[in-house]
Amino acid sequence: MQKKFNRSYDSLEDIFEFTEDILANREIQESMRFPIHFVTEELFTNMVKYNPENSNDILLDVDASADGVTVSLTDFGVDEFDVTADREVDTESPLEDRPIGGLGLHLIKKMVDTLEYDYSEKQSTIKFTKGND
Amino acid sequence: MFDIEFGNNGEIVCSGRLDAAQCEKAQSFMDSVADGRVLDFASLEYISSAGLGVLLKTQKRLAENGAGLRIINVNNHIHDVFRYSGFHAIFEIEAPGGQS
Repeated sequence: MQKKFNRSYDSLEDIFEFTEDILANREIQESMRFPIHFVTEELFTNMVKYNPENSNDILLDVDASADGVTVSLTDFGVDEFDVTADREVDTESPLEDRPIGGLGLHLIKKMVDTLEYDYSEKQSTIKFTKGND
Repeated sequence: MFDIEFGNNGEIVCSGRLDAAQCEKAQSFMDSVADGRVLDFASLEYISSAGLGVLLKTQKRLAENGAGLRIINVNNHIHDVFRYSGFHAIFEIEAPGGQS
């Protein structure tokens, strides 16, 4: 099921309700819902954060079945930014040396089964899957 | 829906979903906290990386005076997020039942 959302953090509540309705209707187990909401938010807010001047809505597609859940987000009229690329993240240094921010992409890779990025004609599509535990 | 307030014993009680849209509210509250506190997450269902930023920024500020946050009643999902983030080394964290 697809829906477009305004490029704003204020869309997060609607995105949560849209996704949660689909997961609940398909009886997706409770333990999978947190990571699905988490990864969806991180990807969406990344798109908002790095292209604030873009006026295009962001397309969210959620497909849930007995085998698991597939979510894709498509951003239109943007430059390439491969979220699957390896980035160094500091999760071990002492408090005073920890940077604030930058954890999102590190965390989503811990929570998904697959993460794919596709870019063509100024269009970014990120797809992730999460299977039943 | 997200809420943050002081509890009866001076602890900070968070409830609902702390997503990127709610971080300004959370940060504004935490900026008013001047000393070490217990942060009760018993009713907090969800936190995203933006919420982690609020916690980290507050912890850094409090640490300058030798204080810090102790986060209690953390649900399993948020506990996983803390673990993946290496937060156990820089916060005192307790899951329900007092396990760290």
